[in-house]
Amino acid sequence: MHGFEVALLPMNLLWGAIGVTLGTAVGVLPGVGPALTVAMLLPLTVKLSPVGALIMFAGIYYGAMFGGSTTTILLNTPGESASIATALEGNKMAKRGRAGPALATSAIGSFIAGTIATLLVTLLAPLVVEIALKFGPAEYFALMVFAFTTVSAVLGASTVRGLTSLFAGLFLGLIGIDSQTGQPRFAFGVPELLDGVDVVVLAVGLFAVGEALYVGAYASRIPEVMDKITGSLWMSKSDWKRSWPAWLRGTAIGFPFGSIPAGGAEIPTFLSYAVEKKLTRFPGEFGHGAIEGVAGPEAANNASVTGALVPLLTLGIPTSATAAILLAAFQNYGIQPGPMLFQMQADLVWGLIASLYVGNVMLLILNLPMIGIWVKVLTIPQPLLYGGILVFATLGAYSLHESVVDLATLYVFGLLGFAMRRWDIPVAPAVIGLILGPLAETQFRRALSISQGDPSVFYQHPISATLFALTALLIVVPWVMRRVKKTRAAQR
Amino acid sequence: MSRSAAPRRSRTEVALSIGVLVLGVGTAIGTVLLPSQGGYARIGPNFMPGVTGAGLILLGVWLLYEVLTGGWRNMPPQDAAARGEHSFHAPAFAWVSVGLFAHMALIQTGGFVLAGAVLFACVARGFGSPRFLRDLAIGFAIALAVFAFFVLVLTVNLPAGWLAPLIRLAGIE
Repeated sequence: MHGFEVALLPMNLLWGAIGVTLGTAVGVLPGVGPALTVAMLLPLTVKLSPVGALIMFAGIYYGAMFGGSTTTILLNTPGESASIATALEGNKMAKRGRAGPALATSAIGSFIAGTIATLLVTLLAPLVVEIALKFGPAEYFALMVFAFTTVSAVLGASTVRGLTSLFAGLFLGLIGIDSQTGQPRFAFGVPELLDGVDVVVLAVGLFAVGEALYVGAYASRIPEVMDKITGSLWMSKSDWKRSWPAWLRGTAIGFPFGSIPAGGAEIPTFLSYAVEKKLTRFPGEFGHGAIEGVAGPEAANNASVTGALVPLLTLGIPTSATAAILLAAFQNYGIQPGPMLFQMQADLVWGLIASLYVGNVMLLILNLPMIGIWVKVLTIPQPLLYGGILVFATLGAYSLHESVVDLATLYVFGLLGFAMRRWDIPVAPAVIGLILGPLAETQFRRALSISQGDPSVFYQHPISATLFALTALLIVVPWVMRRVKKTRAAQR
Repeated sequence: MSRSAAPRRSRTEVALSIGVLVLGVGTAIGTVLLPSQGGYARIGPNFMPGVTGAGLILLGVWLLYEVLTGGWRNMPPQDAAARGEHSFHAPAFAWVSVGLFAHMALIQTGGFVLAGAVLFACVARGFGSPRFLRDLAIGFAIALAVFAFFVLVLTVNLPAGWLAPLIRLAGIE
C-alpha cells in the first residue's frame, strides 16, 4: 500500500499523465508499435529520478498499446502481431460505421484487463520472488534458455529464421568488454564498441529505420484508406452485454501466457479470438464486425502484456521486445530487476506497480474523450509522418552517448531491419538475444565456477533439469507432430 | 511470371544464408583469437562466442538446405502485389539513406536543428512529397521545437551548431 503513496505524489502523477499522453500520441502513428514507442521516448526520461522515469514508462507502455489499437481498428494496419486479431473484427466494425463502439470496447476492455492483471501481478510477484530467491545460477540459466527457445523457435512462421534472429542478437551481445574478465570481444579496435551495442539503438534501428526503408521502398505509393468515426462513440446496452464476458475471458486467457517466461501476446490474442468465435450467440456477425472479436483479444493482449511484468520484475527476464527495452531502461539507472529488487528497492517496485493502476485509470479518463484528437494524428500524410519518425529515431540513438558512431550503427541496423522485414525474419528474438545473452552467459559461467567446472549442475538440480526437459519438449513435439501430419497426409 | 520470379527469390535467400554462415565462421575465427584465461574448465570469455559461432554456422547450413530443397519455408508471397504492396522503389530507399547520412554528417557541425530539418525533408521526398522546401521548413520547425524542449525543459544537451551564438546572445545557457 506504500506503493500508492509513491505513485500518487503529484509529481509522479504528472509524469504518469505525460507518459500516457505521449505514449498514445506516438503509438497511434501507423507503423509505430509499442516497442518502438518506448525506445524512442527513452531519452525523455534521462534526467528524471528512477521512480519518476519508470512511472512515466509505465504510462508510455499503456498509452502506446491503446494508441496502437486505435490505428489497428481505423486503418487496419496492425503495428504488431498481437494486434492482428483485433484488426479482424475491429476494422470490419469501423467499415460498418461502428468505429466508436469498437474503440470504446477496446479501451474499456484494456482498462479492465489491465487492472485485473495488475492485481494479479501484485498478488503473484511476491510468491514468485519467494521461489526465485532459491534459484541459483544454474536455474536462471535454464530459465533463460527456456525463454530463448519460446520466443525464437516456437512462435513465428519458421523455427530456423527465429533462431537465426536470436543468434544474431546473441552475437551483438558479445560485442564489448566481457563483464567477468574485462576481455574486449569483437570490438575491432573501435572504442565506442567497447561499451557494447545498445538495445535502444538496435530496437530503433530495426523497428524505425528498417520500417521506413521498407515502407518507402514497397508501400509509399499506395493511398491509405481511413475509416471515419460515424455514429455514436458509446456502446449500446447490447454492446455492453456482449463485451463484458469477452473482457473477462480475454483476461483469463492472456494473463497466464504473459506471466510464464515464454512471451508473446500473439498466441493468447488469437486464442481469445477463437474462443469468442466459438461461444458467441451471433456467429453470423463474425467476419463482419462482431464486438466480442474486439473485446476479447484486446483484453487478452493487455492482460498478457501486464502479466509479462512478472518475469521481468521478479526474474529479470524480458519476454517481448518491449519488455527488453524496459529492462534496458532499468539498467540505465543501474537497477537489475530480480528477486533482490523487491527487497532492496521495495519503494521503487511497489511504486511502479501502483503506478500501473494509476496509469490504467488515467488512460481511460484522459484518452477516451480525446479520441477525436488521436484520430486527427492518423491523417498526417505519410511523407511527413516518416520524416518525423526518423527525426525522433535519430534523436533517441544520438542522445544516448552523443556519438555519431551510434548513428552509423543505427543505419546498419536499419538495413538489417529492412532485410529481416522483407525476408520474414522475426525481429523480437534479436532484441531479446542482445539483452538476455550476456545475462545468460554470466549465469552459465557463475554456475560452472560454483560447481568447479562440473556441468552436471544443470541436470542434477531438479528445477533446471525440468526446465531443460520442457525446452527440449517444446522443440521436439511440434516437429514430431508435423512429421506425423505429413506421413498421414501421404498415406491418404 | 512466377517462373522468372522464383530463381531471383532463391538467389537472395542463398545470399542471406551465406551471410549467416560467414558471420558464424567469422565469430568462430574471432573466438580462436581470444585468450581463454580466467574461469574454470575452459569456461573463459571465449566460451559464449564459440557457442554463438557454432550456432550461426549450423543455422547458415540449415538455411542453405532449405533453399536447396524448395526455398525457405512459410514465406510471404514473392509477388509484391499479392502482399498489397508495389514493387521495389529504389529512389525512396536512396532518399531515406541520403537523409540519414546527411544527418550523420551535419549533426556535430551544423547542429541538431539543421541536421533534423535536412533528414526530415529527404525522407519526405523519398515518400513522394514533391515540395522539398516546404518540407525543409516543417522539419526545421519540428526540430527547433524538439531542441527547445530538450534543452530548456529536460536540460538534455543537444548540439546547437549555428544556434550556439544566438543562444549565448539570448543568455539562456
